[in-house]
Amino acid sequence: MKTHVLTLALSFILCLTARAELKWEQTAVELHPAKGDKQAIGHFKYQNVGKTPVHFKSVHASCGCTAAQSQKDQVGPNEKGEITATFNIGDRTGTQIKTVTVETDESANQKTVLTLKAVIPQELEISPTFVFWKQGEKADPKSIAVHAGKEFSVKHIKVTSSSPDFQTKVQETGEGQFKVDVQPNETNRLMASTLTIQAENSPKTFYATARITTAPTVPGAHGVPGAPTIQKAPAAPPGGPTAPARPPAPTSQTH
Amino acid sequence: MKFSLARQALILAALSLLPGVGQAIYFRDKISWQSPIPPSEMVSVDRAREWGDGVIWIDARPDDEFAHDHVPGAVSLNEDRWNELLPQFLAAWSPGKKVIVYCSAQSCDLAREVAERLRKEAQLPDVFVLEGGWEAWVKKNR
Repeated sequence: MKTHVLTLALSFILCLTARAELKWEQTAVELHPAKGDKQAIGHFKYQNVGKTPVHFKSVHASCGCTAAQSQKDQVGPNEKGEITATFNIGDRTGTQIKTVTVETDESANQKTVLTLKAVIPQELEISPTFVFWKQGEKADPKSIAVHAGKEFSVKHIKVTSSSPDFQTKVQETGEGQFKVDVQPNETNRLMASTLTIQAENSPKTFYATARITTAPTVPGAHGVPGAPTIQKAPAAPPGGPTAPARPPAPTSQTH
Repeated sequence: MKFSLARQALILAALSLLPGVGQAIYFRDKISWQSPIPPSEMVSVDRAREWGDGVIWIDARPDDEFAHDHVPGAVSLNEDRWNELLPQFLAAWSPGKKVIVYCSAQSCDLAREVAERLRKEAQLPDVFVLEGGWEAWVKKNR
């Protein structure tokens, strides 16, 4: 009886020591890209501390915005390497958490989830980014709050409306805090405006939208018949978005 | 003899449980296998169909996937080009309309993130994420 148990235990220990095993330096990385960065790249280093080679079966990211790459397909005993995860920031804001799932032929731990956390600096926080009036509603002003993000010092902002049908007024409400009042000239017709908001001495532009909407939902309106044409915000070129090209007679307010 | 075999089997079973228990304790705060989206913020394909024309569909997938195929009438809105695409979506929106965001079932973080930004930043009500994503819609409609 004792011999059987001993044999079983020995086989178990032998299996453990002979196996291939990737040891990760870290499975979670936190990145703080600088203002204007387009990508955040995380490096996940590993070493095969086992006695047999490890083969990567798949490496895939949780979203299309992240590309994950392995340097090699096979990792020999004691060999080191890394998985690179490239996160495309795009127009994302705040804290972003993306994962990369690595699948190997290890007997013990075939799947490893690597986590990439990117904290994207935000110069201005705007809330809400959309104000609307129902058609025929009283044309009272509506407010948008603009706050400077942490680590940013903003003394003045400039707000420009792409349409002269909407007026804007900026008021400073505290240090790095502003209130933008938006008011349509009338609400009897469907119209819209893109508001560009810019901190002084900064090339980065933020957007909000003001609209006169149809009231209430019209069945069959899907596909947007009857919806107003609005000033389209421009695509974000390298280095960040720019102001709309030739907005029709913009009106602006600076504080 | 039978007793000793049973005891050995029990010992082996207990040993095999140890790594699993260890992993569960080690990773208890690290990975959640539960959906982060509350059920009240999700909608099934069948329920969405009942809502009929009072719905705006948002495709949160990358541009190339949207260009390849999408729910008829859907508007593309993803975080790669948020600033450019948001005004186009807002032009289609009107009060009372429900908004359903979908992405690929394999990468459904995208829909959750787009829905969250619409609720928080644009402060839109009635924003839902489609259960099962694009694949679920295709299964029921094609």
